[in-house]
Amino acid sequence: MKTITLILATLYFINPFSSQAQKLMDGQRIAEKTHERNDGLSLKRNLIMELKDKRGKTRSRETIALRKYFGKEKRLVIFYETPSSVKGTAFLTFDYPDVAKDDDQWLYLPALRKTRRISAANRGDYFLGTDLTYEDIKLETKISKEDHFYTTIGMEKIDGHDCYVIEAKPKNESIKKVLGYSKGKFWIDAKLWMMRKSELWDVAGNFLKTVTISDIKKVDDIWTVHLIKVVNHKTKHETIFRFENNDYQLELSDDYFTEEALINGL
Amino acid sequence: MKQNRVQAFFNRVTTHHKTILVLSGLLFIVSIAFLPKLRKDTRYDAFLPAKDSILVQRNQLKTSFGLKDPMVIAVVNENGIFNKKSLQIVHEISEQIKTIPGIDPDQIKSLSTENNIVGTDSGILVEPFYEIEELSNQRALEVSHSIDNFELYQGSLVSQDKTTTLILAEMLDTYDMKQHEVYNALYAMISQLDKTNHEFYLAGEGAVSGYLVKYIDEDAMRTNPFAGLIIALILIFAYRTVRGVVLPNLMVLASVGIALGLMAAFGVDFFVITNGLPVVLIAIAVADGIHILGEYYELAAKYPLHTQKELVVETMVRMWRPITITSLTTIAGFMSIAWSSYMPPMVYFGIFGALGVLMALLYALFMIPSAMMLLKPQKSRVFKSDSQVDSFGTFMLKFGHVVVKHPKRIVVLGLLIIVFGIGGALKLLVNEDRVKNFQATEPIVIADRLINDKTDGTSYLDVLIETPHNEDLFKIENLQKIEALQSYIETLPHVKGSTSIVDFIKKMNQSMNENQKAFYKIPENNQLVAQYFLLYAASGDPTDFDNYIDYDYKLANVRFRMNSGEYINEKEVINKAQEYIDTHFKSPKIKATLSGKVAVDAHWIGKLGVNHFVGAIIALLVVLIVAAFSFRSFTAGVLTVVPVTISVLFLYTVMGIMNIWLAVGTSMFAAIAIGVGVDFAVHTIDRLKYFLREKKLPITEAYSEFYKSAGRALLFNFLALALGFSVLMTSSVPPLNQFGFLVAVAVIVSFLGSMTLLPAIILITKPKFFINKKTK
Repeated sequence: MKTITLILATLYFINPFSSQAQKLMDGQRIAEKTHERNDGLSLKRNLIMELKDKRGKTRSRETIALRKYFGKEKRLVIFYETPSSVKGTAFLTFDYPDVAKDDDQWLYLPALRKTRRISAANRGDYFLGTDLTYEDIKLETKISKEDHFYTTIGMEKIDGHDCYVIEAKPKNESIKKVLGYSKGKFWIDAKLWMMRKSELWDVAGNFLKTVTISDIKKVDDIWTVHLIKVVNHKTKHETIFRFENNDYQLELSDDYFTEEALINGL
Repeated sequence: MKQNRVQAFFNRVTTHHKTILVLSGLLFIVSIAFLPKLRKDTRYDAFLPAKDSILVQRNQLKTSFGLKDPMVIAVVNENGIFNKKSLQIVHEISEQIKTIPGIDPDQIKSLSTENNIVGTDSGILVEPFYEIEELSNQRALEVSHSIDNFELYQGSLVSQDKTTTLILAEMLDTYDMKQHEVYNALYAMISQLDKTNHEFYLAGEGAVSGYLVKYIDEDAMRTNPFAGLIIALILIFAYRTVRGVVLPNLMVLASVGIALGLMAAFGVDFFVITNGLPVVLIAIAVADGIHILGEYYELAAKYPLHTQKELVVETMVRMWRPITITSLTTIAGFMSIAWSSYMPPMVYFGIFGALGVLMALLYALFMIPSAMMLLKPQKSRVFKSDSQVDSFGTFMLKFGHVVVKHPKRIVVLGLLIIVFGIGGALKLLVNEDRVKNFQATEPIVIADRLINDKTDGTSYLDVLIETPHNEDLFKIENLQKIEALQSYIETLPHVKGSTSIVDFIKKMNQSMNENQKAFYKIPENNQLVAQYFLLYAASGDPTDFDNYIDYDYKLANVRFRMNSGEYINEKEVINKAQEYIDTHFKSPKIKATLSGKVAVDAHWIGKLGVNHFVGAIIALLVVLIVAAFSFRSFTAGVLTVVPVTISVLFLYTVMGIMNIWLAVGTSMFAAIAIGVGVDFAVHTIDRLKYFLREKKLPITEAYSEFYKSAGRALLFNFLALALGFSVLMTSSVPPLNQFGFLVAVAVIVSFLGSMTLLPAIILITKPKFFINKKTK
């Protein structure tokens, strides 16, 4: 199936007379394809968060992020290294495959020597002071299979790569409210099935933010994103996520993904 | 010889009268062509030069923390606002105003937009006080409870008695000059709301300046034509001829039109106080016309066989000197405002006022004689023949008899006024409150009073805290300093509350400790503060603290709320706060600077008093010098300033008795009163000298001649000025109203002084300037 689609997709590009509108891949299918991609069982990487406010002042936070699949459940832990004021702070999330079940999240504050469970945040809440939401963090380069009605509106090149352009509308009011978006536009790489760009509009219909995903390279034979940039058009706030030293090979013990590990650190 | 030169000059003027008229017309048309470019600027910031350090600093603070002076809507329900209906209204208004052009949809603060910070058994949760979908009376009570636990919002967002809640909306910078449009839209919106059990008010600094534009505009539309009408009536009474009304009015038109046109041409904005300028110029400019026409009709009655050219030239030969001197002294009055003022609106008021008077003089010297050349000789019914005088002349003649009889009493009365006046001047109260620019019955005044009574108020003092390094504001000692500063300033009168990042940190600490009141305090270690911010970010918005702390955690803003916008109250707080900062924030590790509306006010309004006295003294000196040089006599110079000095001193007493503040509008009265009022003395001295020294008439006869001719013209000059300025008293803008009243009283006093005290002094002292000892 995948190959056929690929062949069909390739055909559009070599045949300039083909009518794209009729033959473009269905949006829902594209969404599913983003989930079929191999993104490794586990991954250890350095995540550098650079945040910039509208006056151009920046905050930089260096962290080590670990991710591992436990069956269909995904667990993510982030240990803060710098700045020194938050060194040792650690964040853990359990992302359950069942959408109805809220994710579990914990934050360890070394100054308090206590782990705090973060009350079931909205998927649309901002993730630790960045312009990415919890949902964005969870999906990274994928797009949701359940939340939207998709319409494929065309093909465009992003950084020289052919991408499907699809428009997304939340399936209902409650999803719209939870995610905080009334409309989305996604550019999905037609070869890698990774999102390369997205534009989102807030619940009132104002242009909210642009996410660009770049520097996609193969690491351990897995296509891996190295840079995510988000610009919030309303607040003029910006977030850059840099991923370095991506390592899919390293065996990550299940013990890292526990409340105890948060306290002990790496 | 000199007389011949003057005659030759006016001969030339009358010969080229058509060219002059064409040029006069052109100058006028070219100037008024710029009028549409005139821009209104009623911002109070406009009272300071753009480069003023305090203003620059305040603007930096505004950009760093996104702080503005907002529009404030108060929702009042006397039964309490914590019920479903009231909170629903708050939500609806908050949503509705987002769509009003000019309102920044991301900068609206109300119960429905702000977040509550709650401690849960596991951490802290940042969430809206309520969601409209789940709102019920029960939920409303929970919101009430949340506010009880959130000190920060008590008094600032919700009144202590819980009957009032505020919605604060900021305007986009692009609407700086169009605040009135935003105000009007908001006002229209709240007027349409369902008022069952609820009342709505619109105030706040943003609203005040927004409304002021509209208010003053309407006022000017009313007062300016009214002033013109009054002047026309006076002219009709004075001469009962068409040209007697039309010619002076043309001068007035030229004076006002050119002054305002040039303002527009030079890109000078039309400020709040500029509204007073047209009326002031109308009253002043007409005087030259009155004197010229008075002399003309007198001559026409005396020499019925003269040609028009002879009459006109003779009139101008006699009048050029007094009208030039009086115009120069008036220009001196205006220029002394320009020289003594720091505030651009006043500097420009002085400059363009002077320019308007100069234009009136030029038109009087060139345009009026030229225009008269187009007409045939004419007599006024008022001046029947040389020997006859009308009732106005007779009145002044009788007036003169009284003066000649009781010169000593008059001098004593003058001295008494001086003594009382000095006492009044010492007690003069420098004060200002921008809401006092409106009548007490205006909705905005009522709204302002209500909001200031019920809540912490809307007059803001901002304190900028600066530290040298990133994250220095996580340090406990710095946070404690800020907390101490807040507690101290909050003890000062009229300071009702404050908000800083420390309040949020304390609230987070309390939330992290099972909401126990005891933990509403600064935590014990620096790291914890940093980590609280991270924890907050786990459910809050990254830009939530933008108004309180900068991104590097180096700068913070503490905003204090005062329930009075009066300068004297603001000044006291500023003085005390500055004293505190000077002792407690001296270290290089943490610095504090006062800013915000309250600091800016204290900075410039304080200058009003000094500006006023310096302006008055400069005006007196310049008038003295101009008069002394023109009359070539120091004695005559000193005598010239006597009536105006008394008029100003008299006013200080009046201000004291009537409790009139020396404020923006009123502070300019002295310089204007001097520049304008001195005209009477100039004419009096000029004419008395003429009758006494040149005509060598005996004193009683000279005085009779003076009162019935010059006295009569001065009476009309006086009526034009006094009534013209009185027109400002019909203004609904209280400062203009008071300004008009003060100048009108000053004009009355200087007229009476020139008609009584001045002749009395001359009578008693018999100075050489007037009375040639030999002939005596």
